[in-house]
Amino acid sequence: MAFLELKGVEKNYGALRAIKGIDLAVEKREFVVFVGPSGCGKSTLLRMIAGLESVDRGSVQLDGRDITHVPSSKRDLAMVFQSYALYPHMSVAENMSFALKLAGAAPALIKEKVANAARILSLEPYLHRTPKELSGGQRQRVAIGRAIVRSPKVFLFDEPLSNLDAALRVQTRIELAKLHRDLGATTIYVTHDQVEAMTLADRVVVLRDGIVEQVGTPLELYDKPANQFVAQFIGTPKMNVVAAAELPQLGELFGAPVPTGAFVGMRPENLTVQPAGKGHVQGRIDLVESLGAETLVYVRTDKGTQLVARQNTRAAWHVGDQVGLEMDRASAHLFDAQGRLTAAQS
Amino acid sequence: MTHAAPPPRMSAPLLARTIAAWLVTLVIFFPLGWLVATAFKTELQAISVPPLFVWKPTLENFAEVQDRSNYLLFAANSLITSVVSTLLGLALAAPAAYSMAFFRGSRTRGVLMWMLSTKMMPAVGALVPIYVLAQTTGLLDTRLLLTIIFTLSNLPIMVWMLYSHFKDIPHEILEAARMDGASLWQEFRRVLLPLVLGGLASTGLLCLVLAWNEAFWSLNLTSAKAGTLAGLIASYSSPEGLFWAKLSAASLLAIAPIVVIGWFSQKQLVQGLTFGAVK
Repeated sequence: MAFLELKGVEKNYGALRAIKGIDLAVEKREFVVFVGPSGCGKSTLLRMIAGLESVDRGSVQLDGRDITHVPSSKRDLAMVFQSYALYPHMSVAENMSFALKLAGAAPALIKEKVANAARILSLEPYLHRTPKELSGGQRQRVAIGRAIVRSPKVFLFDEPLSNLDAALRVQTRIELAKLHRDLGATTIYVTHDQVEAMTLADRVVVLRDGIVEQVGTPLELYDKPANQFVAQFIGTPKMNVVAAAELPQLGELFGAPVPTGAFVGMRPENLTVQPAGKGHVQGRIDLVESLGAETLVYVRTDKGTQLVARQNTRAAWHVGDQVGLEMDRASAHLFDAQGRLTAAQS
Repeated sequence: MTHAAPPPRMSAPLLARTIAAWLVTLVIFFPLGWLVATAFKTELQAISVPPLFVWKPTLENFAEVQDRSNYLLFAANSLITSVVSTLLGLALAAPAAYSMAFFRGSRTRGVLMWMLSTKMMPAVGALVPIYVLAQTTGLLDTRLLLTIIFTLSNLPIMVWMLYSHFKDIPHEILEAARMDGASLWQEFRRVLLPLVLGGLASTGLLCLVLAWNEAFWSLNLTSAKAGTLAGLIASYSSPEGLFWAKLSAASLLAIAPIVVIGWFSQKQLVQGLTFGAVK
């Protein structure tokens, strides 16, 4: 049996079905990321695991114990909130030791654990400050420290990086990955940022409209997306998805006629810009984004569909140029009319 | 207090605003200042026209107020009824405001409005039923009756004020406490209470002042035994005539304690009001 197991979990807000029956198993020491667009139910699902939202149907098991109706305070989980939710009237040390004090731990043990967490998170100089005297990044670390000192069964993170600026976000993301490696703690992490999901997760759970679209390792999701939604949600710029009817020449790629109503998906890096007349598709350059290491070329086909190609070379592409696009047939995806993956060539 | 160098010359609009502020302050302060001045005049000086601005202050009014009526009894009645009703009110209003601020339901708004609506009826509308109730239960002219009345009449305001203070506290802080293993009581005692202490204090002080100065119910439901300072003041505008100087002296004695309390709690109040401003 898995360490944390959700079985047919549902949540309704009046007539709105926020979580529509989710099954999920999380193994010990695993880093699982819930990702999806806003309103998909990822935070609600996390809060149900935390016990901050009631579970209307289904069950939650943790370490062999049914915690479906156990209050948050008795679940032995720690949560890092998006707003950090530090106690404004307590110092950093008091914030971090609060849970241990409530649990009646010995003062010497509390001191040791707080000192240890402060060292890991480089918070030692700030232990006597109050949260308002800290920067955003420091507050974030205190919130993480508050979770660490408890050595909980599972760490829950609710979009912890979204209040940080871009540079700090990347840095903290790397620190979180390192922290997880060092502590080996079971972690569930909610984000709407697919880069965070890809870089941190052992396994990613993609949610949409209260249901799980796919669960898998980051690369599984990238290479074998279960459907068009996952295919386009994971990866930047997103996968090109084109109605097969618009580009009949694609049938040749698959060596068989493409079923009616099907869609073809191609990652931008699997398209190569060629001189006009060559390649599988002809079009005109709409936009060129030069990012240095790579260049994104937006090509509008003769039929009016826009395709993005990611090129690792630099060349003199100009808006308005006629070009051809060569497709790597080995990495093309075929989706049926309902958006389900029917064939991945790789 | 030390000030840095005085600010450079005021701009015209700022000057106008400053003058206006001073004028408004003077208008508000004038009756109070006049009351204090009159309390130290003789009855004759008090009604002289044109009014006297320079005179030899006298304390005879205060002596007479103490002679004629038992100031300490009235003061004790005021103190007991207002303090007890404020504490009782806070104890009842805090849990109500807590549940409405943190566990909002679809009817919360309606309940709040309904509570406030009870303050919209003029008190005199309820006088006869309450008088009859008090008479039947034998509570007329008792401190218990006044305490109950003060508590109930201030309760809607207390719930509203505490509700708005509680609402400003991020919900997630309480959730964090819950995740940290705090029981409901610990969550209240260790996290919520320190954060709303300022709000509780300012609500309490306001209701203390309201109860202290309450006149309608205390005049109608109490007399010699449980009468408050409001009754003491009113007794100087009696059928025997209006005694301005003694009335002023009695008023001054009546408001003095509450002004002193307000003065000393000022700092804590301001501190308390800005305390939760951390996010």
